[in-house]
Amino acid sequence: MTVIMDIAVVALRILLPVYAVVIVYQCYASMRRRRRPEKPLVMLHNEVTDLKIPVLFWENSLGRSKRSDIFVDDPAVSRNHCVLLRRKEGWFINDTDSKTGTFVNGKETEGRTQVYIDDKITVGYSTFTFKRGEEFHEKLGPTWFFSRVSDKPAIKPYKLLLLITLFHLFMSVEACYTNEVKNYEPMMVFACLAAVEWLFFFVSTVVLKRINFELESLALFLTGMGVMLLVRQELRSAYVQLIAAVGGMILFCVIIKVIENPDRIAKFRLFLMILAVCLLGVSIVFGKISYGAANWISIGGISIQPSEFVKIIYILVGASSLDVMQTKKNLIEFILFSAVCVGGLALMGDFGTALIFFATFLLMAFMRSGDWKTVVLAVSAAVFGSTIVLKFKPYIANRFKIWGHAMEHPQDDGFQMARVLTYIASGGLFGVGIGNGCLKYVFASESDLVFGIVAEELGVIVAFTVAIAIAALIIYARSVTTRSRSTFYSVTACCAAGLLVIQMSLNIFGATDILPLTGVTLPFISLGGSSMMSCWGLIAFIKAADERTYAVKS
Amino acid sequence: MKRTLQRSWLIFIVALAFLGGLGYFTFLLLTNSSDWVDQAYNGHISGSGGLEQAGAVYDRNGNILAQTVDGERVYNQDQATREALLHVVGDNSLNISTAVQSMYRSQLVGYNFIWGVGMPDSLKTKNDIKLTVDAETCKAAYEALGDRSGACVIYNYKTGEVICSVSTKAYDPQAPPEITEENQEEYKGVYLDHVLSSTYIPGSVFKIVTAAAAIENIPDIDTRVFHCSGSEEIGGSDVTCMEVHGDITFKESMAYSCNIVYAELAVELGEEKMTAMAEKMGINSSYTISGVETAKGHYDVSKANKNQLAWSGVGQYDDMVNPMQMAVICGAIANGGTTKTPYIIDDATSFFTKLGITLPGTENDKIVSPSTAEKLKEMMRYTMSDYYGDNLFGGLTVCAKTGTGETGDDKEPNAWMVGFSTDEDCPLAFAAVVENGGIGFYNAGPVAEAAMIQAAKSLGASAVQ
Repeated sequence: MTVIMDIAVVALRILLPVYAVVIVYQCYASMRRRRRPEKPLVMLHNEVTDLKIPVLFWENSLGRSKRSDIFVDDPAVSRNHCVLLRRKEGWFINDTDSKTGTFVNGKETEGRTQVYIDDKITVGYSTFTFKRGEEFHEKLGPTWFFSRVSDKPAIKPYKLLLLITLFHLFMSVEACYTNEVKNYEPMMVFACLAAVEWLFFFVSTVVLKRINFELESLALFLTGMGVMLLVRQELRSAYVQLIAAVGGMILFCVIIKVIENPDRIAKFRLFLMILAVCLLGVSIVFGKISYGAANWISIGGISIQPSEFVKIIYILVGASSLDVMQTKKNLIEFILFSAVCVGGLALMGDFGTALIFFATFLLMAFMRSGDWKTVVLAVSAAVFGSTIVLKFKPYIANRFKIWGHAMEHPQDDGFQMARVLTYIASGGLFGVGIGNGCLKYVFASESDLVFGIVAEELGVIVAFTVAIAIAALIIYARSVTTRSRSTFYSVTACCAAGLLVIQMSLNIFGATDILPLTGVTLPFISLGGSSMMSCWGLIAFIKAADERTYAVKS
Repeated sequence: MKRTLQRSWLIFIVALAFLGGLGYFTFLLLTNSSDWVDQAYNGHISGSGGLEQAGAVYDRNGNILAQTVDGERVYNQDQATREALLHVVGDNSLNISTAVQSMYRSQLVGYNFIWGVGMPDSLKTKNDIKLTVDAETCKAAYEALGDRSGACVIYNYKTGEVICSVSTKAYDPQAPPEITEENQEEYKGVYLDHVLSSTYIPGSVFKIVTAAAAIENIPDIDTRVFHCSGSEEIGGSDVTCMEVHGDITFKESMAYSCNIVYAELAVELGEEKMTAMAEKMGINSSYTISGVETAKGHYDVSKANKNQLAWSGVGQYDDMVNPMQMAVICGAIANGGTTKTPYIIDDATSFFTKLGITLPGTENDKIVSPSTAEKLKEMMRYTMSDYYGDNLFGGLTVCAKTGTGETGDDKEPNAWMVGFSTDEDCPLAFAAVVENGGIGFYNAGPVAEAAMIQAAKSLGASAVQ
């Protein structure tokens, strides 16, 4: 009898990794579907030369520079002359500090000026007639991610979510039948988890009428996995984590709503910066020092980590629409703000998060300016800063000392990493089963070392699938870049994806002794309410960059 | 927008760096996973846990040293054999970290890269391990050591197989003692395998090293006549000898173990040449015996004065050697100057060879030239035949050297005997040490004798039939 049970348990363990791969594949396959065909939105027609220029994007730079979206070979046109952009209200043109000015129907423009079909736009010596996109007849090739694009979803959204719920059900079955404890508590958690998943699906498709759900599905898949892993570690935390995830989903919807108009944030930029600095300031002043970092504050019995929410503000503040970006009005301001954030985190002793902010800053600064000098300058400043840190924070230097040698110090400085490695290897490809792991008894295993728990209990295949699923957000975020409704979305999506992957890398490689341990969380999986909410908040940027998000189901 | 797209390639660096890290981790996992699993703190295999389904451990003749019967770990039925092999086989705990049941527990319990250690007990595949040791020989050595603390090792210098490896004191793995504050003195060092993990003051057995240095560096060494008057002032203090040997040749000096000769030689050779020979013979390094690193010996005269340098040549000062190391040196002398690294896990089990863990006995080191080895062999043979008498080892042709390592502190000296047999069908090198046992020949001698004769019998050597 036990042998039959055992065979069933092992079969389940082998099933889960295969299943996880299928789910992640389906999520990404669906992201490619239901795209509008690649065709020009509008067209500029130079009636003198009969040159027809297709306008492909929602925001287009126009200028003499070859890399402009609309290239005008005219010596009187500035390199970055103006920006032609589309908003809900129609098309606008905005002169970006050009030498000769931009004229619509012979009148010089000031700020964003609306243009209508058949209007005459004059830049330098060239005059274009603003035409409908349908009048452009040449074919345009699709980009590789969207090639063989089909209008049918790869898998129906509800089916994908059903697959995911089933995966979590299997996890909870496995958790019910562990080596030590055998009871049905995990089923209760599963019931709550499933309710949350389907409620969110209902809100998204029926109430908000969104046609696609794959990014949310991926996040739910990861969130649920984290929750189910907690069941046999600390039951109460599993519920707390689930509640935090609900908070995250609300934040996700709110952020998408708030940035519906990409220009809206510009008005609140200063307010947001002050809010971020206040949040960091509060943690510096009132923060509880736990294991070297003062990054927690406690309000009415709930401890939160303000730096997690600053991540969202940071990305919001950093991006802007193309016309604002081209005039470079606020890069200095952004650099100063970044320095304050990184400095504040360093003051708190939260060097892991400081490093994440810094790397995100590099991404953001480069995407905005394309300027190598800023990047090089920032990196040298950071190297200088970190040498000072190492001098004054000996416990950080200690982590560097044993870095790469954790297995040689399993009883002192390498304690945590040595156990992570041992238990990852003990888990094999398919894991020892949920609740049968030993890593869960090690300090901070549910947050900093959670990658080890995933690998030990679910196996290396699942652990790698999870890691690659998060890393693939980068490919997705980048592939929707030119299809976003504004560079604001492109930049925030790429930076949010970059931030999540950097954070994940620090977590995974820190725990496995490939990098020094920095104590950051694994997105969606690690226990931590603030972290969970901020991860959901961050993928809202990726979601918003997807052109389908603001399209209403027809 | 195009420009933003072009710039966004920077996040691919992040993705690439991540994939690179993941690839590197995969590589580490593939190459190190069994090392990572074999850790004392690993909850999946430590404690008595894990052994309920483990494979058996056999000696070279297929005698069961440990096996699992109905979920219980049982050891050899003979208590003395159990105790003799405690440090080789190990007990249910992981306290003896160099024992096979600790080092290779993951393999015993059926660990593999694909399934990890997490298979339910009913589905685990176990692996047996066959050792090269002979249980009878180990028992003989153990009984000869008695309740004294010490070590005895014998290995085949042609193949590398370890025939006997015994460390005392020991306890019964079937009923391990609870070590408390009251009895910790009695069980001091009981978790250490002295053969592999301890070092002792060598005393006269170190003269082999000094003699090797003299043979390789002093051309007229054979024709010299030394003079021993029982004591001699070197570097301001006296170096003393056990007896007054009068005029004495180099060959005789080893047989009679004259301190004066070796003290003078050490000073004449000087720090550099003495250190070079000690390094070459591996005193300051360790061997890897089926995955276990032996304790490093110690020869360092960089801070020694002339008198201390003299004493270092006699195996005193702060010289330290490890029993396995001494056996390997003796084996190399027997083998024409080349070592054959010993191993204890039978190659025939080949499980480990398949996994590429160790290829036993393949690492060869030339520690002395063949002519030096021949000369040392001659001297050690002379020591045995003319001084100790050949009747000690039955009919075996043995070359040996004893040692009496003075430990100071009013304690008895460490008794040593090291050497090898030159019989074609019994090519064994041995080292026996009794901690604070007294004079080498009288205390370590009988241990070596008992073990060697039994080993020769077990191997079916013609000399002892």
